[in-house]
Amino acid sequence: MRIIPKKVERIKFGLLSPEMIRKLAEVKIVTADTYDEDGYPIEGGLMDPRLGVVDPGLRCKTCGSRVGDCPGHFGRIELARPVIHVGYAKLINKILRSTCRECGRVLLPEEKIEEFREELKRARRIGKSDEPIVEELFKQARASKSCPHCGAEQKEIKFEKPTTFIEVVEGRQHRLSPIEVRERLERITDEDAEVMGFDVSVARPEWMVLTVLLVPPVTVRPSITLESGERSEDDLTHKLVDIIRINQRLEENMEAGAPQLIIEDLWELLQYHVTTYFNNEVAGVPPARHRSGRPLKTLAQRLKGKEGRFRSNLSGKRVNYSARTVISPDPNLSINEVGVPEIIARELTIPEIVTPMNIERLKKLVRNGPAKYPGANYVERPDGARLSLARVRDIDELLEKIEPGWKVHRHLIDGDIVLFNRQPSLHRMSIMAHEVKVLPYKTFRLNLCVCPPYNADFDGDEMNLHAIQSQEARAEARVLMRVQEQILSPRFGGPIIGGIHDHISGAYLLTLPGVRFTKEDAFHLLYASGIKKPLPEPEIVENGKEYYTGKQIFSLLLPEDLSLRYKAKVCRKCEVCREEECEYDAYVVIENGRLKCGIMDEKSFGAFAGVLLDRIVKDYGTDAAREFLDRVTKLVINFITWRGFSTGIDDEDLPEEAKERIAEILDDAERNVFELIRAYNDKILEQLPGRTLEETLEMRIMEVLSEARDKTGAIANEYLEREERRRRHENSARIMAVSGARGSLLNLTQMAACVGQQSVRGERIKRGYSGRTLPHFKVGDISARAKGFVRSSYKQGLSPLEFFFHNMGGREGLVDTAVRTSQSGYMQRRLINALQDLKVEYDHTVRDTRGVIVEFQHGEDGSDPSRTDWGKMVNVKNIVEKYARTEAE
Amino acid sequence: MKPILQSFLRKRELVRQHIDSFNDFIENRLQAIVDETGIIETDVGVEVEFGRIRVNQAEALEADGSWHPIAPMEARLRNLSYLSRVFLEMRLRWNERETDFESIKIGQIPTMIKSKICNLHGKSDEELVELGEDPLDPGGYFIINGSERVLVTIEDLAPNKIILEKGEEYSKITEVAKVFSKRGGFRALTTVERDREGLLWVNFPSVPGSIPLVVMLRALGIETDREIMEVISEKPAYMHDILLNLEESASVKDTAMAMEVIGRKVAAGQAKEYRLKRAEQVIDRYLLPHIGVEPKDRLRKAYYLGRMALRVLELARGLRDPDDKDHYANKRLRLAGDLMEDLFRVAFYNLTRDIKYQLERSVVRGKEPSVYTAVRPDVLTERIRHALATGNWVGGRAGVSQLLDRTNYLSVVSHLRRVVSPLSRSQPHFEARDLHPTQFGRICPSETPEGPNCGLVKNLALACEFSTGVPGEELVPVLYEMGVKPIKRGV
Repeated sequence: MRIIPKKVERIKFGLLSPEMIRKLAEVKIVTADTYDEDGYPIEGGLMDPRLGVVDPGLRCKTCGSRVGDCPGHFGRIELARPVIHVGYAKLINKILRSTCRECGRVLLPEEKIEEFREELKRARRIGKSDEPIVEELFKQARASKSCPHCGAEQKEIKFEKPTTFIEVVEGRQHRLSPIEVRERLERITDEDAEVMGFDVSVARPEWMVLTVLLVPPVTVRPSITLESGERSEDDLTHKLVDIIRINQRLEENMEAGAPQLIIEDLWELLQYHVTTYFNNEVAGVPPARHRSGRPLKTLAQRLKGKEGRFRSNLSGKRVNYSARTVISPDPNLSINEVGVPEIIARELTIPEIVTPMNIERLKKLVRNGPAKYPGANYVERPDGARLSLARVRDIDELLEKIEPGWKVHRHLIDGDIVLFNRQPSLHRMSIMAHEVKVLPYKTFRLNLCVCPPYNADFDGDEMNLHAIQSQEARAEARVLMRVQEQILSPRFGGPIIGGIHDHISGAYLLTLPGVRFTKEDAFHLLYASGIKKPLPEPEIVENGKEYYTGKQIFSLLLPEDLSLRYKAKVCRKCEVCREEECEYDAYVVIENGRLKCGIMDEKSFGAFAGVLLDRIVKDYGTDAAREFLDRVTKLVINFITWRGFSTGIDDEDLPEEAKERIAEILDDAERNVFELIRAYNDKILEQLPGRTLEETLEMRIMEVLSEARDKTGAIANEYLEREERRRRHENSARIMAVSGARGSLLNLTQMAACVGQQSVRGERIKRGYSGRTLPHFKVGDISARAKGFVRSSYKQGLSPLEFFFHNMGGREGLVDTAVRTSQSGYMQRRLINALQDLKVEYDHTVRDTRGVIVEFQHGEDGSDPSRTDWGKMVNVKNIVEKYARTEAE
Repeated sequence: MKPILQSFLRKRELVRQHIDSFNDFIENRLQAIVDETGIIETDVGVEVEFGRIRVNQAEALEADGSWHPIAPMEARLRNLSYLSRVFLEMRLRWNERETDFESIKIGQIPTMIKSKICNLHGKSDEELVELGEDPLDPGGYFIINGSERVLVTIEDLAPNKIILEKGEEYSKITEVAKVFSKRGGFRALTTVERDREGLLWVNFPSVPGSIPLVVMLRALGIETDREIMEVISEKPAYMHDILLNLEESASVKDTAMAMEVIGRKVAAGQAKEYRLKRAEQVIDRYLLPHIGVEPKDRLRKAYYLGRMALRVLELARGLRDPDDKDHYANKRLRLAGDLMEDLFRVAFYNLTRDIKYQLERSVVRGKEPSVYTAVRPDVLTERIRHALATGNWVGGRAGVSQLLDRTNYLSVVSHLRRVVSPLSRSQPHFEARDLHPTQFGRICPSETPEGPNCGLVKNLALACEFSTGVPGEELVPVLYEMGVKPIKRGV
């Protein structure tokens, strides 16, 4: 079969006319029965074989195709009396009110109608919605009491939801039957229908009142056969059976000349069934129920809501060639790689076209089959037929047949490009392309540097992997989506992929002044890290022995012509920067690929912060950056493993003296709080502008207490540092905080010195018993302790009251995270829905699919944030330095 | 501290609350529900009168029709339900004849493990082991179809307590006093609201819309302006507020007129006599039913409304703060016994209706009425068992009974001491999720799930003890003795 490619240019929605329905329908459905005693479908019934096939093996009586190929064919039910279509009842109401009950013209003078017609034309030309114009027309037309065309007096029409129209004639209420409604709609001229927003070539107003009902094919409402052999029909079929049954009874009664009352009752019932057939959740209509009491799922219910066709099947598609498992770390992988378990590699396949160049290799894979890795699961003939290798009996016979043009669905092998994703996919770096590395065991393995963009950790996180099926997609993924291409974040123009945790502490320890290696150790370290570069001259020669500094080793990873100066994370922000002479070695100078001074820490190659890494990506390209990251992480991990690094509670040990000083500061703070309270009580507290006296007091108290905590933290840090120097023993907790590897000074403060004020929604603890938080305090006590100031440190331990306050503060955090996740999910959904079609065109404008311009230039400056210098368009200082250097040379 | 806790826990088992509550249900509340129901009157002149209710120890029915005591382990292993038979004394009255009281089995109710009607009650550790039971098992749960079901304690806003609230921002109502008035199983929310103009309105169930407070008070028999002032407050500070309301409703002069106003609301378009009858009925039955449901209680209701109105005015004046709904003093915990009470009340009501229907049917067919044939015990049994098996309680609450978490001993104890709030988990409800200082010593500050249920599902603190309500009949005389003055007209 030749496939003729077609492009959908546009879709137009209209109403189905009775004639159209009759033409569409293959079968007129006349009987409510579906199957006869032998279980065969009855002709003229709802399961008529001409409506399509659902049972495998049979051929369709209409088109002769088999199950998958026959799309199904429509049937029709001739309704004994017309009924209103619920979906259009509101519109019918508007039209009835705006048109003459006698002549059917719009209740506006000719000139007015002409005006609206012009306005509509204008709106359509510029692609504007005609809805507000038509609404305005309805509003104006409704107001007229008599027809400007035939002079007939207009009566008030009441609309009783969902499908009843009542006309008030001289105070008496007269119910308009669908027949009358239809007659009135029929009288409307094509021209008038057009000003009311109708395109009469596809929708005449009277088609909103149904005379013939289109019956969907059986493929739309397949029946299921239970294990017991019993058939269970689809909800739609049930509903259609109801319609036919009532329709028949109505017809019989009409023919028999039954009294008007009975006919109207049946008519009403028919209206009910047709209404619930379209929508079973119409307000004011009891939902049609299944025998078990479950409401039926009819047409509208199939489409609507989260479980509806749109949200769950069209915008939420499921895919093949994907895998999901737990993730675990592997520092030996490159950032570009992902470790794939062999069992997954055996299941996921990539189609490869057989060519004379690869035929031998592919045949070998086919011979291995699905069970032996590396093998293949399917072969595809040039005609598109697929053969499962699990089912092929004579492999040799198949191998004979394989020739160029066939496709082999082979297992994933090292080097294949795949997509790797972790939910929630909040930014584009949540799906990146990785190269496959097939590994034993059952988890996906990834390099630690890619944890930040995925926001992944290894406490049980799972990730998804997608094997890309087409060559174009693979090429696109490799060029655009590869991890190394995503190092720079489009959010802030710095690296989002970079070193974390031990990478940072490792680099810090390695580049600390005074770190030195013997030649043996240096070789060892470099070899383990896979660095093959000649060593420079040793920097230190002592007693005839040669030593290399850590900085020298680190320099081996830097590009040879790189020059850079910046202040490291450990920088104390002194008032006068002594630059190279910095006493903390916080001023980093790299000259021609040599680290002259300064410590490597979070600011060098950390995720979100790495200045050095940023420079490398921007000046040397992503390949160099990837290589740098891979090597540097390997090196520092090896170093820190070799050297040893560990933290314990003794990292928070403070000498007695420090404890005394901390206690003193806290005593002072509490005394200050009392002073403030006294000042407040004596009404001498100075009020802050824009605050009440009470607010002022609270703010001042919070200020005093937080200042006190900061002071205790500073003291703790001071003593920790001093102890470190005195005992020549590093404090791991402090190192991690200072280098930016993990934790902060605040964390240290809380552990060693003082936990500080607990707050709920930004205020001191204020709720509780009347006049006090807890009965352990006196009524009216607003001192520090009574409102949640935790004086102890975690290491000291908290008193029961402190513990309780701390729990209050902690609870708020828990609630916040729980509530936020659900809210951000919803926010994400709305943003995606609003922005999904926007795209930057070749003329740099941002437009939607209709071509409507949203921005004349992307971001109003046309810049790609990931190519900027932390959001700034150019880094002038950098350029000047660079040219100054070349000039000097 | 440690010895204190140890001795405390030696005396107080960890799930004492559930067991005590259930025992109370068996010993007192069952009888109360029966008494509440009173006499069944049928349309065929037959009446059924109830007497004492009695519950057996847990038993099982064998295929041969015999009943025998059963140990919980047997129920667990054989997928049986651990139930006790309930007997009720009944007698029939018709044609001025009266039968004697006969004790009839009306159904089976689930037996709480280790309650007084449980076969493990009072057994020593050795005896428990003999019965296949873990002597450390705390009990306090039920066994339904072999699975262990816990009735999770529900935290509710305290009934019969005036709770003051500020109205929603930008709404017409600025201050509200609310009372969840509860009588038996019936809960009626009554509110007194103050709108922006300072007018006071009363709302209560079965009356559409609001009624002006003054009209309501007049309907309750407080007719003159002077009396109305007395009922609300005689302080000059509130004079203006009250006068404003009196003026607004000046056209309704006396009780008769007020009744007419209410009658028009509750039974619009009906005959006048019916309207008045209905108005009186509604006032007695649906307005603050916890005070009473008879005409004699109207005066007290008027004073109660006056008290509510005063609080609203005080709140409006800033003399009072709105009540903290998360304050644990405003919370009541509904334990297994309370939940069983709700369930039993509905099931028993279904049973009485069924008895009535059966009696009417047999009489119409010309048979001699008999309580034996009229009582179908399965009606009660199945209603209760189904609710426990699925967790779908009366009133549409789901998840009330849960499968006991047997992951380990701690999870069992934690589950039995769990407290859930009926607030929806999908809304933020930040305040309700916070750890409130009044939970100190009552609710564990640390144990709460992370995620959407955070702070709404709680657990009892280790040393938490329950106090149960005191019946009003016992308390009232004591209060009078202590010098409380009774409410009288025109004091």
